[in-house]
Amino acid sequence: MAKKSIAMLLAGGQGSRLKDLTRNLAKPAVAFGGKYRIIDFPLSNCTNSGIDTVGVLTQYQPLVLNAYIGNGSPWDLDRTNGGVAVLPPYSEASGFKWYKGTASAIYENMNYIERYDPEYVVILSGDHIYKMNYAKMLDFHVKKGADVSIAVIEVPWDEASRFGIMNTDDDFNIVEFDEKPEEPKSNLASMGIYIFKTDVLTEFLEMDCRNAESSNDFGKDVIPLLLDEKKKLVAYPFSGYWKDVGTIQSLWEANMDLLKPKEDATTNIDLYEENWRIYSKNPSYPAQYIDAEAKVENALVNEGCVVKGTIKGSILFQGVSVGSGSVITDSVIMNNAVIGKNVKINRAIVGPGTSVLDGRVIQPGEHDDGVVLYTGE
Amino acid sequence: MDRLENKQILGVIDATVDIDTLAPLTLNRPVASLPFSGRYRLIDFMLSNMVHAGIDSVGIFSHHLYNSLKGHIGSGKVWDLDRKNGGLFFYVQDKHDKENTQLILQHNQEFFIRAPYQYVIIAPSHIIGRIPILDMLKMHREKEAPVTQVVYAGKGLPIYLLKRQLMVQFLDNLDPSIPQTLMGFVEASTQHLDKNLYQVNELLFTVDSLTNYYKSTMDLLTMDNWNGIFSKKYPVLTTPKDEPPTKYLSGSHVTGTMVANGCLIEGEVTDSVISRGVRIGKNTVVKNCIIMPKVEIGDDCVLENVIVDKEVTIEAGAALKGNDQVPLVVPKNATVYKEWI
Repeated sequence: MAKKSIAMLLAGGQGSRLKDLTRNLAKPAVAFGGKYRIIDFPLSNCTNSGIDTVGVLTQYQPLVLNAYIGNGSPWDLDRTNGGVAVLPPYSEASGFKWYKGTASAIYENMNYIERYDPEYVVILSGDHIYKMNYAKMLDFHVKKGADVSIAVIEVPWDEASRFGIMNTDDDFNIVEFDEKPEEPKSNLASMGIYIFKTDVLTEFLEMDCRNAESSNDFGKDVIPLLLDEKKKLVAYPFSGYWKDVGTIQSLWEANMDLLKPKEDATTNIDLYEENWRIYSKNPSYPAQYIDAEAKVENALVNEGCVVKGTIKGSILFQGVSVGSGSVITDSVIMNNAVIGKNVKINRAIVGPGTSVLDGRVIQPGEHDDGVVLYTGE
Repeated sequence: MDRLENKQILGVIDATVDIDTLAPLTLNRPVASLPFSGRYRLIDFMLSNMVHAGIDSVGIFSHHLYNSLKGHIGSGKVWDLDRKNGGLFFYVQDKHDKENTQLILQHNQEFFIRAPYQYVIIAPSHIIGRIPILDMLKMHREKEAPVTQVVYAGKGLPIYLLKRQLMVQFLDNLDPSIPQTLMGFVEASTQHLDKNLYQVNELLFTVDSLTNYYKSTMDLLTMDNWNGIFSKKYPVLTTPKDEPPTKYLSGSHVTGTMVANGCLIEGEVTDSVISRGVRIGKNTVVKNCIIMPKVEIGDDCVLENVIVDKEVTIEAGAALKGNDQVPLVVPKNATVYKEWI
C-alpha cells in the first residue's frame, strides 16, 4: 500500500570519538539520559509524527543495534503494513559492499523505498538528541513546493565553522551550501534531516552513484549537485534543543543539560512531556531503592538502582548500585555499574556494567578535557 | 529440566477472590490488579512465578469488574503468553454476584478438558513472593498424595497442584446450585483427600486485608526483604509504561524509600513507596505512605501513614494523618483540598 511518507534512518555511525563506549556498538546505540539510547529519539519522533515505516541503515557493529530494535514494539513500530526494518549492507552477486557514504546507503535500499511507494522520503540520522515533529516539516515542504527540504538550526556564530552551513534568501530558499566554512556567511546549520520528493531522490541518487569520483555523501555530494541542477531546496527552521553527542565531552554535557532548570525550549529536552514521549526498551527492574543513609539531590535515577551513598548533579541508569560512603557528583553512571563503598566520582562517565572498587577516586586528569570516561581497570 | 517436562503444567489464577477488608482499594478493581511496590500489580507476582516455571498456558478467572486487569495484562506479551498454542485465557463472569463462579466453571470446563497438560496449578492473585513451582512438581511426583499444597510459616496457603484429570473429575461432580468461587470449589473438592505439604521457606506475603497490604509494602523497604522478593534471576514481570527516570530536584530529601519511574520529587520522603509518575511538591513531607501512580501532591503538605490511590490530587498545604496500624486511605481520583482538613 502506498504511503505518504516513510523515513530512512542512517544509523551506521561509528562514533569513534566516543572511545570505549562504541567499542562494541554503533553510535546510535550509545546510552543517554538514564534510560535511553540515542536512536530512541529519532525513532520516537517518527512514531509521534505519525510516520509508521522506518528503514534503519546499519553498518558498524550492528549486533547490539539489531537486537535492540527487534520488531520495533517499544516504539509502536511493530506493524503489519510498514513498521521498522533493519537494513544492513548486504552482498550481491558482484560481491559484498559496505555502504560507501550516506547517499549510497539509501541508494542500495531503493527497493525498500519502492515497496511502500511513498510520495516523500524523510532522511534522518541517529546521532542527535532532539524532539521534532517531522509532520510539520513535511507540511512546510509541501506548502513551499520544494524538491528537497533541509532542517536547519541557528548555531552560535563562533561555532558555525564546525557545521554544514546553509545560505538562504528571504523566503528560506537555499542558495548556497558551505560544508564547514572558515568564514561562514550564515549561522543556519544543517541538522542532517532531509525531506525529498521520492522521484527527485531516485533521480539524484542514481546520478550521484554513477559518478565514481563522488564520496556518495548527502552533505558533500548530493546537496551541491541538487543546487547545481537548480532544484528547489528550502531550509526548514527548527528551534528547540538539538545536540550532537559525538564526543565524551558533548555526551556528558547533553546528559547534564537534563538536570538544568528550564529557562527556555533550548535548555534541555523535556522527558516528562506526556504527548511526546521518548520510547525505549523497558527492562524488568523493580523500583529504585533509596536507602536510609542516602542523599540524592538534583539527579535522575532509573529503575533497579540501589543507592546508599550521595548523588548530586548526576544521572544513574537502570540497575546501578552505589555503596555507602560513596559520593558521586556531576557524573553519568551507565546501566548496571556497581559502585563500591567510599568511592569518589566527579565529572565522569562510567560505562555500562563497570565495577568501581571500594575507595577508588575517579575524576578527570590533565589530559581529559574536563570529563573522564571510566570503563574499568 | 527439559522443555517438554516444563510444558506439563497448566496455570490457573483465581482472580475472583474478593477481599472485603481491602476496601476501599478494591471498590473498582479486582484484588489482582491492586498496585503494589511502586510499579507492579498483585497478579504480576503469581503470573511471573508461573512463567518462570515454563508454564505457557494460563487461565485467569475474574469477576466482571476486570477492565483494569485486562488493560494491564493485554495480550500477555510481557509474560511471553501471546502464543499460538496455549497462551492466555480470560474467563469472566457476567454477573454481579461475586460468589457465582460456578457458572463460569460449568461453562468453561473445556479449558480443563482439552488442555494437553498433565498437571494443573491453581493459585490466587494476592500472594506475593517466589514459589518454585517446578520444585513443587518434583515433590508432587515423588510423593503419594493426589494433591500438593503450599505451606508457609506453618500455615496452608490456597495454592494447589494436582493432576489435570483429577480436576476434570471434580468438574464432573460440580453442583451448579452451590455458589462458590473457583478456589472454594477446589478446596471443597480436595478437603477429604490426602495432601503433600510443600514448604516454602523464602519470604511470602499474603495481601488479604488493608493492614496486611500496608504492612507487607512497608516490610519490603528493608534491603533483605527487597532482595528476597526481587531477585535478578527471577524478575517480576509487569507491563512497562515508558516513564522517564525519576527526577530528584534540588532541595529534595528521600530516605528509606522505593521510588518508581517518572516521578518529580522536590519534598522530603521517608520510609514510603512512591509509584510511577508521582509529583511531590516543595516543603512537603511524606512519611510512611504508599503513593499510587499519577498522584500529585502540592507544596507544603504533610502526609503520614496514608495510602493515596491512583490519580489523586492533593492541594498545597493539606495535612493528612493515619494510624500506623490502620492507614488513612484516599480513594482513586479524589481531590483533597486544604480547607477540608
